[in-house]
Amino acid sequence: MQWNRKDLLELYDLTPEEIELILDTAAEFKKVSQRRVKKVPALRGKTVVNFFVEPSTRTRVSFELAEQRLSADIVNVQASASSLLKGESLLDTIKNIESLQVDLVVMRHSAPGAQAFIARHLNCGVINAGDGAHGHPTQALLDIFTIREKLGRIKDLKVTIVGDILHSRVARSNMWGLLKLGAHVTFAGPSTLVPREFEEVGVRVCHNLDEAVADADVVNMLRIQHERQTLGFFPSTGEYSRFYGLKEETLKKMKKDVLVMHPGPINRDVELASSVADGEHSVILEQVTNGLAVRMAVLYLVAGCVKK
Amino acid sequence: MQKLLMSAAQMPEVIRQIAQEIVDAGFSDGYALVGIHEEGVPLSERIADEIEKITGHRPPLAKLDISMYRDDIGKTKHLPRIRETVIPFDINDRALILVDDVLSSGRTIRAALDAINDYGRPALIRLAVLIDRGNPEYPIRADYVGKKIELPADRCVTVRFEGEGDPGVFDELWLDKHLSDKE
Repeated sequence: MQWNRKDLLELYDLTPEEIELILDTAAEFKKVSQRRVKKVPALRGKTVVNFFVEPSTRTRVSFELAEQRLSADIVNVQASASSLLKGESLLDTIKNIESLQVDLVVMRHSAPGAQAFIARHLNCGVINAGDGAHGHPTQALLDIFTIREKLGRIKDLKVTIVGDILHSRVARSNMWGLLKLGAHVTFAGPSTLVPREFEEVGVRVCHNLDEAVADADVVNMLRIQHERQTLGFFPSTGEYSRFYGLKEETLKKMKKDVLVMHPGPINRDVELASSVADGEHSVILEQVTNGLAVRMAVLYLVAGCVKK
Repeated sequence: MQKLLMSAAQMPEVIRQIAQEIVDAGFSDGYALVGIHEEGVPLSERIADEIEKITGHRPPLAKLDISMYRDDIGKTKHLPRIRETVIPFDINDRALILVDDVLSSGRTIRAALDAINDYGRPALIRLAVLIDRGNPEYPIRADYVGKKIELPADRCVTVRFEGEGDPGVFDELWLDKHLSDKE
């Protein structure tokens, strides 16, 4: 099994073997961060541009640290300070950046497919750090890595993702990755936020939390965005929390060794009770640690296919 | 076309000789073997077995993957799969013997030295190889050599201990090897 892609755009594109290669590679990069010298020279002399057209803290910091630990040179471009505001097109901006002999572009953008679009026009590698509600492959990879590390496998596991599935790129990327590796995926939440259409690709859709999590091995609680409430997707955060927030009482009815995940940032006591977020089932901070390893692996593999 | 350079039957004696030379060098206690993936790892285990037969004491073993330290990332068609690095002891102030199957350009060993450096500061480092092709591109020489072989640059040496195919040491054309790798 060899890695052959200069871009990482969506897990939908990957074979199960390619996903597993990333996870195996990440396991070795995780060890680098546990060493005295937390750095390897793999990307020495390569330049990575972090181009975040949509705000991000944890993903950007995670990518930046991953790049530093691979010895790459880094340039950060933020939309608020870029010439996009002066009316330059995305492609022109990116083409100008590439002209500075850049090897990789890590991009977040609110438009689905923006990374796929620029990847077609660039010789350098492109990594999707989130495109609208479409995909967030490195988040899904770190979630899957964490599950595999904790439970030893992905195949036949029952993974329930709860929350605003409609607007969630995390849910979509997780869905593709998990289905490819043979897990059973359930989407749960109010019917306004969990469309039935996902059943067509083999996801179980469920509008009752107790039912959705009863036999789950993993529960991934998505952040509920307050601005959705004003758009009428649910009556109030209080009501959302009452029906779909994960609380101690629900946890007691679930499997004894269930993993509780959250991509962050958490709304404490909205989608996740504070005690559950900090409880023994929670692997939320390990997700963050693993995100670094997964991003190092992706950067390394993709850089290996960018020919200069 | 493959040519046999060392048969499976000849390998144990060659490995025993390497082990004897390491024992004769009289390293202080606590010296360890570090096998470089792929074939340096099984070779280091076999050398340790022989050292144990001679001295009654088995030196500790480590496995090292040098992929993250290569100088050709983005220059080759494919990156090799990263294998597990396991160094189950503190390398500081310890004598280390790097073990690899073939010494060719010396670039793998250059990378291994850089990797070791990130794990600590050993007292000294030596190099043991089964086959020395004698055409280094870097100023790197092996201290313990199973067999010296001179070959034209278009041929490569394959060492096999286990897995698919007969064990032994073979040489074949780069092109042939490349074709068989693709399958």
